[in-house]
Amino acid sequence: MATRPGLMSRALTGWGFALPFAVLFLVFTAGPVVASLVMSLTDLGSADLLDPLGVDIVGLDNYARLFADPKFVTAAVNTTIFVVVGVPLTMALSLLVALGLNSGLIKFRALFRVGYYLPVVTSIVAISVVWRFILQPDSGLLNTMLGLVGIDGPNWLQTQSTALPTLIVMGAWRNLGFGMVIFLAGLQAIPKELYEAATIDGARKWAQLRFITVPMLRPTVLFVAVITTIGYVQFFEEPFVMTRGGPLDSTLSLAYHTYNQFGFGNYGYASAMGYVLFVVVVLLSIAWFRLLRNNVD
Amino acid sequence: MTSALDTRTETLPEGPPRRRAGDDLRSRDHVARVVLHVVLGAGLVVMIGPFIWMALASFKTEGEIRADPPTFFPQNGTLDNYHTLFTRLDFPTYFTNSVVVAVVTTVGNLLFCSAAGYALAKLAFPGKRVLFLIVLGTIMVPSVVTMVPLFVLSSNLGLVNSLAGLILPFLAQAFGVFLMRQFILSIPDDLLEAARIDGASELRIYWQIVLPLCRPALATLGILTFLASWNNFLWPLVAATTEDKYTLPVALALYAIGQNQTRYDLLLAGSVIIVLPVLVVFLLLQRHFVRGIATTGLK
Amino acid sequence: MTRPNRRTVLLAAVTAVALAASACGRDSGGDEGEAGEKVAQGKATGNITVWAMGTEGEKLSALADDFMKENPDAKVTVTAVPWDGAHNKIAAAIAGQQTPDVTMLGTTWIGEFAKTGALDVTPPDFVNKDDYFPGAWETGVVDGKSYSVPWYVETRLLFVNKAVAEKAGITEAPKDWDSLKQAFKDMQAKGGAKWGTYFQPGQTGAWQSVVPFVWQNGGDIWDGKEFTLDSPEATEAFEFYGSLYKEGLSSKDRLPDGEQEPKLLKGEIGSFVSGPWHIGLLNDLGGEGKYELWPMPSGPGDATSFIGGSNMSVFKNSKNRDSAWKFVSYLMKPEVQVKWYETVNDLPAVQSAWDDQKLSGDEMLKTFGDQLDKAKAPPSIPTWEQIAAGMDTELEKIAKGTESAADAAKAIQAQATSIGTGG
Repeated sequence: MATRPGLMSRALTGWGFALPFAVLFLVFTAGPVVASLVMSLTDLGSADLLDPLGVDIVGLDNYARLFADPKFVTAAVNTTIFVVVGVPLTMALSLLVALGLNSGLIKFRALFRVGYYLPVVTSIVAISVVWRFILQPDSGLLNTMLGLVGIDGPNWLQTQSTALPTLIVMGAWRNLGFGMVIFLAGLQAIPKELYEAATIDGARKWAQLRFITVPMLRPTVLFVAVITTIGYVQFFEEPFVMTRGGPLDSTLSLAYHTYNQFGFGNYGYASAMGYVLFVVVVLLSIAWFRLLRNNVD
Repeated sequence: MTSALDTRTETLPEGPPRRRAGDDLRSRDHVARVVLHVVLGAGLVVMIGPFIWMALASFKTEGEIRADPPTFFPQNGTLDNYHTLFTRLDFPTYFTNSVVVAVVTTVGNLLFCSAAGYALAKLAFPGKRVLFLIVLGTIMVPSVVTMVPLFVLSSNLGLVNSLAGLILPFLAQAFGVFLMRQFILSIPDDLLEAARIDGASELRIYWQIVLPLCRPALATLGILTFLASWNNFLWPLVAATTEDKYTLPVALALYAIGQNQTRYDLLLAGSVIIVLPVLVVFLLLQRHFVRGIATTGLK
Repeated sequence: MTRPNRRTVLLAAVTAVALAASACGRDSGGDEGEAGEKVAQGKATGNITVWAMGTEGEKLSALADDFMKENPDAKVTVTAVPWDGAHNKIAAAIAGQQTPDVTMLGTTWIGEFAKTGALDVTPPDFVNKDDYFPGAWETGVVDGKSYSVPWYVETRLLFVNKAVAEKAGITEAPKDWDSLKQAFKDMQAKGGAKWGTYFQPGQTGAWQSVVPFVWQNGGDIWDGKEFTLDSPEATEAFEFYGSLYKEGLSSKDRLPDGEQEPKLLKGEIGSFVSGPWHIGLLNDLGGEGKYELWPMPSGPGDATSFIGGSNMSVFKNSKNRDSAWKFVSYLMKPEVQVKWYETVNDLPAVQSAWDDQKLSGDEMLKTFGDQLDKAKAPPSIPTWEQIAAGMDTELEKIAKGTESAADAAKAIQAQATSIGTGG
């Protein structure tokens, strides 16, 4: 009975469900976002805080200036490396752990789940204190252990070539639990019957993994991929707390540079940078969506 | 319909059922078990190690924390740090604020995001794609960019220095809708159609079929939202103008971080205090990552 | 069915942006305020809201209570604000018109917040600039007007390991650059230290240790009209800084937070430059008696060290302006400044407070007090933080040896000039 009243009532139902979210979202999230977009087209500085409308429109000037800013370029390169290496690394590790915990071969599952999730919930400042001790060049845990095998470890955080890779590893360590939790939920949603049927048909575990688990996990993988990418494109806490962007800006990230610019009061310029980040994230997400398109079951 | 509402709560499946006994196969399983335990166990040590160090360090003095070479176990254990925090901090107020804000934000998000996620995944309505794109788009804007406009907006709405002002801006997380949509997408349409044919209203379908099926996703969203809200620092700092509206992270930063130096002893003790409720919530909810219901309702 | 909707949404968004844009446009100037208005006589009354950061925020209520005893009709409410994020908070408060009556501000923030027009001009009849250390007073002056009153100050000295200095045969504090460098060398050769000193190799905040060299050498950052960061004096100062690393007198790697104190006490590092807060910190680590303080070396210039601290400002849109200023000036009474020192160990900004035995009798403090007479602050311009950050980057390149001091000086000057003074 798909008559017009039917369509109307479906529209109402749809909006009915979406409305509370939509209202809150549009007011508190979308609104400020649009406002910042406008900000990025001006030269709003801290001197204009009391009278924000009294600024000059500079159009895309801020955006153009970005690409001439050597720090911006450095930050962009660093962020790219961080994302390109860090996202697959973290996703792979969290998926492996989730598969391991889900395989039914493990006792004390709750302990493992909590343990792997701990780094996600612990404050970054506390984590940084610990990691700095681990990475200390002379008496740190890592170099002491390397010393046992005869390797003379470098000053991990203060050497240009090793600082960023160290942060990537730290990031993977820290965010692994997040992906794990979501993958676990996703794995749970796969009907047991599929596995039972496959086993009856004689499929071995690896084949089951390839032909049941992975395809069924697609929406979850897409979600983790997009969210992890978004998080990593905006990575800020690790460089801020561990290296302050050094040495020689080798760990300066785009989000950190943006934060600094906000600190200087260059609101217009910083908003423009924020929007460049936004565009980058949108492009990457579209890429992920293309790659992991939802198939119909 | 009854089988769809069957809420068996089993524990994790044992993977594919074991095959017929053959010493060969059983010992292969056994080896796999041991290897898996060792590997994951080693990983666990790496994961937990720093946290244990932090917990132990919270019982050390500032001097010992900064000692070179660093120590693992406290040489002169002391409860001073915790004592200082509990006496100097108006702990009950900050704790209550944090709890109220985090709980309301979490429950609100679970409700609104699942409802909107259901609509975006399974219902047809005009403007659906646009809404989803806008929502997705805003996840991608760094939060520092929107801080000042959000504050001006809150000020105009009279929300500054109130718990409502701490809750409302985060009650509808784009991230939450995205998560719920993805999960709900994998619920078979036939299940919902069958219910509709049986005459169930959308509300009933949502409440009695979709939500229970989403338990893992809801548990996940619950933990993530609670965590984000609990640890949120910048907004509660900016939005509160008197101390009685501070949340725990703000109060902790107040005592531990100075203009020119940081008090690591207070910081670490405070970090332990702050992380405990999140762990409790995680422990409570993580059972639900476990299979809640199979989509066996179809059969 | 969705296409018209998408177009409409886009259209709406574009219209919104255009409308907002058309409302914008900066005025071409207009004079920035008058001289400070007079403060009415009598006791303070009404509600006074005060923001203060960190420990100061925590303990200020003690002084507020005393104030309220003297002014029974006034009610002072102190809100403690964490240092972390305080700058953002104040900026947002100004934008959202949610500012308190009085706020504490870091000295390097005054330039920026004064330019917002949110700060009230200091009433000259009420607050006397001669009471304060000149370097401190200058931190509150922007474009010739005072927008903030120094509350407490800090300055930097050399903290030196006593045993290392003794073994190195150093009997008195070096007075100029050459003898300072020689002292560092001796500390390494004879004193048993691995590094004669530690200067942060660039990165956040390094400028605070380097700019004093510029001042010692008779140069300056700003001469009132333009930046002078590539002057011969400044370039020499940068060269001196670079030579510390080139000659192996300081580690080129940045020490993680919390490491330099134990290393100093062990004698691994011979010395470092820091402020009064390190006294408490080193004593907590069991270092009492193991270190001594040296004043900074001097050269052709007058000033020899950096002055910082915090000031108090009143907001223009305060509803209780006169009482707010009365509270601020209460905090500046010498006896109150001494009491404040006893409460939180902050050094008084008011010079006469130093006559008190509690300060003049303590030897370490006396060294700080003497240094304060010769300490200077960077210009109170709104863009200073950004220029300083640029300086930090170039300083790092000097320290690591990837750029010569001369090139760095030119780069710093170029950046500063292009950033401008935001005036």
